[in-house]
Amino acid sequence: MLSIASHEYAIAAILYLAFLVRQRRLFAILGRVLIGTGLLIQAVALGSELADQGGMPVGLAQGLSTVVFLLLAIFFVLDLRYRIPVMGAFIAPAAVAVLFSSLLISGGGEPIPSALRRPLLPVHITIALVGIAAIAVAAGVALMYLLMERQMKGKHFGLLFSRLPSLKFLDQLNKHLVLWGFVALSVTLVTGVFFASSSSSLFWQWSPKEIATLVAWVIFAALLSARLFAGWQGRRVAVLTMAGFCVLLVSFLSAYDPNRHLGVFR
Amino acid sequence: MDLVCIGVSHKTAPLEVREKLALSEGEISKVLQRVSGTVAETMVVSTCNRVEFYAVAESAEKAKGALHSVVVSLGGDRSLEHLYQHHGDSALVHLFRVTASLDSMVVGEAQILGQVKDALELAQRVGAAGPELVRACAAAFASAKRVRSETGIGRSAVSMASAAVELANKVFGGLEGRPVLLVGAGEMGELAGKYLRNAGAAPIVVINRTRERAEQLASSIGGQVRDFAELHTSTILADLIVCSTASSQYIFTKESVSPILRIRKFRPLFMVDLAVPRDIAPDLSELEGVYAYDVDDIQRVIADNSATRAVEAAKAETIIAEEIARFVRSRSIRDGVPVLALLRARAEQIAKAEAERTLANLGADLSEKQRRSVQAMATAIVNKLLHEPTSRLRELGADQSANRLADAAAELFGLESGSPRLPDQPAAPATDLPAAMASRGSKR
Repeated sequence: MLSIASHEYAIAAILYLAFLVRQRRLFAILGRVLIGTGLLIQAVALGSELADQGGMPVGLAQGLSTVVFLLLAIFFVLDLRYRIPVMGAFIAPAAVAVLFSSLLISGGGEPIPSALRRPLLPVHITIALVGIAAIAVAAGVALMYLLMERQMKGKHFGLLFSRLPSLKFLDQLNKHLVLWGFVALSVTLVTGVFFASSSSSLFWQWSPKEIATLVAWVIFAALLSARLFAGWQGRRVAVLTMAGFCVLLVSFLSAYDPNRHLGVFR
Repeated sequence: MDLVCIGVSHKTAPLEVREKLALSEGEISKVLQRVSGTVAETMVVSTCNRVEFYAVAESAEKAKGALHSVVVSLGGDRSLEHLYQHHGDSALVHLFRVTASLDSMVVGEAQILGQVKDALELAQRVGAAGPELVRACAAAFASAKRVRSETGIGRSAVSMASAAVELANKVFGGLEGRPVLLVGAGEMGELAGKYLRNAGAAPIVVINRTRERAEQLASSIGGQVRDFAELHTSTILADLIVCSTASSQYIFTKESVSPILRIRKFRPLFMVDLAVPRDIAPDLSELEGVYAYDVDDIQRVIADNSATRAVEAAKAETIIAEEIARFVRSRSIRDGVPVLALLRARAEQIAKAEAERTLANLGADLSEKQRRSVQAMATAIVNKLLHEPTSRLRELGADQSANRLADAAAELFGLESGSPRLPDQPAAPATDLPAAMASRGSKR
């Protein structure tokens, strides 16, 4: 089932890229339909898998697959709300690349130690993944912003210039996504600390994952406060968003470090 | 009768000279009355980029002398250095080119047509313009309309303003409630201001060196006027700045704008420089959050580049040449052979031909007397038919309505090919342009 969904996503990605070049409404509508049905199929597939595991994804493959699902779901909602199919050309190919690589990784992570099996753990993990997905979309939007600004500043008004939404819109979208991502990230950290504090052996070990997550949190905290209090916007926010996303990516991947028994924090 | 035109424009005279010669409506009326003693007909076109005096007189020299003395009284001896002078067909060509916006600072801008129309209207109101000027202007208006509808020249001016709005939209997403600052109230600035207002931008602040002109523009687009000294504070408040001054130096430089940006707290600042020479230093774009564009950049946004614009301008010149040839032809018909004589000649020719055909059909069995009475009848019909119009036209004399009647007769009987449009049926305002563009009144 997952492969059906990923093929749908792949076709949608191609359609969105085609839409970027040739502004045919049909491409955008077909892409939207394919993403929508793909999400439904993947939701069923993921739902049945996760139900067996106590409602949480286990292992890198499932983690990636879940992130892709959330990422595309966010994009889908944004596209329905704001009609920005151009964004699909940036989000969908990235999502497809991640999803296909996750299919290559042998699934089946190690079972989570019973010490950590608490009812709140699925919530912790789900919110963490939602945060990552939101920040990933924000990073995509930031990339669009930087590309658009380059066109505007460089005064060569090419293909992207006429296709991309306005700088203001991209900046606002970035703001909202980062805000939601930051809230999710904060909740993740708090619940994470809550779990860890319950078991003294796990309490803040300065593992790469912890450090990376903390750094990412600090970056986004600084970014949001600079936005709110110093009026930052535009280019510098976009660059910081992408930097924050990279750090968060490190945090996410290090959670699946095969050399350490880090089923722990997941 | 000779048409004479002398004047100054943005091409020949610096702003200081143009400012001195620029006249308000009241001043124009006075000048017209003063000159009309020496010349048969006269009219003054005064816009922010040109001041032109047209006159029709028996002798071109006499007309020039009268107009020169007006120029000297307004702008002093020095202003004569910047004058251009045309007479005869060359004056006609100038009038046609100006009206068609080929001589404008922004080639293809539509306001000049309305401004010349206003000038003629005013001259007619004070009784300074007569049939010669009215006919010439009517033909010029018709050819300007042809230029507008048959070439893309008008599009380039309009598209400059709309491209600026499009660019601004790419920064701000929408212009609703965006504060605008217009620096310089030139033609292009006015056009851009109107477009921005139509796009919902507000409030609009106008800063101009001459406050009077700023007030005119501000009232026509619903804006506010600030003094030049308030440029700094106005820049802090504005999100969009449109520059179109005649300043030879940069008004905005990197050094002057970067402290303002700090106060603005990274709010994006969109700047359009429509002035030549430029008002905005080109390195301003390097500042974060500043999007500055000059005329060339905006041209690049517009798909049709300067090459096609040159083609359009060439097309426009061809149209004007055609229209002038047509006007000159119909004028010579009108002037050289009076309509009545033409009409009579045509009628007599027809009567003679018809009588001869009838006689030929009847054959040789008619007596000489009978032949003569057939011919007499034909001539009598012509005379009786033409008696009424002839006496009526003579009664009216050289009055303007006589001209109108004569023109109507000429057209009705097909006495001349393609008579120019008559002044009393002026060309309707161009409907292919937004109403904002058709509005007039950028006179200083």
